Amino acid sequence: MGKQLTEMLKGTLEGLVLAILSGRPAYGYEITAWLRDQGFSDIAEGTVYALLVRVERRGLVDVEKVPSEKGPPRKVYSLNAQGRAYLEEFWTTWSFLAERLERLREGGK
Amino acid sequence: MATGSNEPKSRYLQYLEMVTGSLEDKRRYRQYKARIKQLPEDYRTAVEAMERYLMHFGPADGAGAMAMYEDLADLFERSAADGTPIRDIFGEDPVEFVEAFMANYPIGQYRARERNRFTSAISRAAGEDTARDDRTDR
Repeated sequence: MGKQLTEMLKGTLEGLVLAILSGRPAYGYEITAWLRDQGFSDIAEGTVYALLVRVERRGLVDVEKVPSEKGPPRKVYSLNAQGRAYLEEFWTTWSFLAERLERLREGGK
Repeated sequence: MATGSNEPKSRYLQYLEMVTGSLEDKRRYRQYKARIKQLPEDYRTAVEAMERYLMHFGPADGAGAMAMYEDLADLFERSAADGTPIRDIFGEDPVEFVEAFMANYPIGQYRARERNRFTSAISRAAGEDTARDDRTDR
């Protein structure tokens, strides 16, 4: 993953993770694995965890502790109503940004 | 994130904690240390390195700091159980991770003081505010 992608991901990872959670509840390890699978190969497990702590503290997700065969219980995150509203806002912002950038690209030709 | 009882503290305990700092925080910190001790050696080494960084730049004490250490222990216990390689937890740039992690908790006193001082210095320079405000309790 290039440096540029890493930089751009900083502002969008939150929306990305909330979008994943809007499909179905998931735990941290699953989310990281999915992201890696999708080509974000350098994403750090810790970075995803830090983000999950953040969205939990801001009340955008609900957390359920599910027992695991090995080790401590897993925290399973699911998007709640507040999180859905936040995700809607993220998509609006994203569309605005993408549209403006696309306009610049076309103008630059 | 339950943190003990909500009963009012006895007067004795109030005075005692003025001298010793919060006993509840101390208990939580000891508990965190005990959890870290149980980790496999490489994970423990990594957590201790991170702890050193957090001690310098993160919140030094209080409930916010304790929540931070507990979240840290949660992460590493889970990672050890999953066998997640240390590099996969920290990524190519460990500083980036530790900064993102730290940003979830109250900022350290030193940083808070300098941020406030800087913000109010700019306000004064911009002619917006004449009151001095160098306090840390923002």
